[in-house]
Amino acid sequence: MGLLTKEIERVPCTVEISHKFESLHAHVRFNDGSVVYPGDEVRVQGPEIMAPFGEIVTEDREAIILRASKLEQLWTRLTGDFEVMELCEFSFSEEVTL
Amino acid sequence: MNAPVKHSADAATVEEGLAIQEEQARFDDDFATETAMSNTLLTPRFYTTDFDELDAIDVSPVREDWDKLIAQMVSDPNKGHFKKNEDWDHVDWDGMDPALKKEFIDFLISSCTAEFSGCVLYKEMKRRGNNDDIVQLFQLMARDEARHAGFINDALREAGLRVNLGFLTQSKKYTYFRPKFIYYATYLSEKIGYARYITIFRHLEANPEHRFHPIFKWFEEWCNDEFSHGEAFALLMKTDPRLTSGKNVFWIKFFLTAVYATMYVRDHQRPAFHKALGVDPDWYAHEVFTKTSELTKQIFPITLNIDHPRWQRTLEALHRANVQIARAKTRGGLGGKLSQMAGSARAAWCFASLYTIPAKKHRVPASTRLEPVY
Repeated sequence: MGLLTKEIERVPCTVEISHKFESLHAHVRFNDGSVVYPGDEVRVQGPEIMAPFGEIVTEDREAIILRASKLEQLWTRLTGDFEVMELCEFSFSEEVTL
Repeated sequence: MNAPVKHSADAATVEEGLAIQEEQARFDDDFATETAMSNTLLTPRFYTTDFDELDAIDVSPVREDWDKLIAQMVSDPNKGHFKKNEDWDHVDWDGMDPALKKEFIDFLISSCTAEFSGCVLYKEMKRRGNNDDIVQLFQLMARDEARHAGFINDALREAGLRVNLGFLTQSKKYTYFRPKFIYYATYLSEKIGYARYITIFRHLEANPEHRFHPIFKWFEEWCNDEFSHGEAFALLMKTDPRLTSGKNVFWIKFFLTAVYATMYVRDHQRPAFHKALGVDPDWYAHEVFTKTSELTKQIFPITLNIDHPRWQRTLEALHRANVQIARAKTRGGLGGKLSQMAGSARAAWCFASLYTIPAKKHRVPASTRLEPVY
């Protein structure tokens, strides 16, 4: 990893989408055990995926991981904390007026 | 997606032509159902944290309480709860006041996104962790969040809204939170979530004429899940006394202030929703803060002094500053920019004013575990 350069990795991944009444979830798993670090960007290749209602869809795809530069990773580690409030659920969007 | 349908003019025989027409009709029907529903793009965020630090947690000091809580979560008392039954009354979406409908749908979508984001975060922690206790906890919490999201999704479908998980194939950046910030924020989020849901549930129990949608009937068991999740985070924090002492108390105060203030401001942006529920947002905020403060005494050595004369006054000023910022943004131009800056400065001042109200100190009990009693 360079101080200022980004690297691109292509990794196989499995996407699982559940669009069932019992569970609405979507997860991406990297098949080769790749891990993401702060500041990295991930993009699953291919067309949009959506399971029909009541079904679970699992697809093998390729994901592109755009690795953050060393500097960006450091920056994200230092500043990411400021966004922590997003974890709180207030059940309303940020829009002031609708 | 459906494959392109052959046109009947291309048919070689009458039978084939009819078959194509039939196929086309079926396709049009599916297409109409799907497109009639508006798309609602869920936009969860993606996080990483220090997974080694998370793995290093040792729950031995709270083992007894921990095992009991996990056993209760494994037994899954709410498994059968999130089902629509005869209590799910018909919802008159067309007859609903448009302002209320807008705010209520915003409420449903935001709730669904929040549950969904929680699920993504917990699942990631589950997957990256190597500590069996932690991995099991996050797996169980991810299960509950996904179940809640599914339930809200169903209510959205009834309203003609289809969630879109298009974010999966869009580029997403992973941000970073220190584990302790995740504990403070999610603990508070789960506990305040419990207080919010139970306050609405009890209010509607006493005033059923204000229950304009059946989903509120499910809030009681729903918030018990939030309650258990909060308990788990409280126990996690209990394993390391440094998390709730020394300079971390300043962080705790920061999170309490930020969470309460954000809730106040967001709720005041949804007047039609609160009016329909028959709830005064100021009363509601005070009620929720009181309950949350009482609960957080289980682990935090301080609570905010919400009865201080500066508290309510400053919250109201913060709300006005927030409205000013939003109006200035819409206005645009140099005047808008200046007004926006002035609004932001006022908001920052309000926050500082709230933060500096002296907190109430108290002793944290030796035993952490609580039961939902509200």
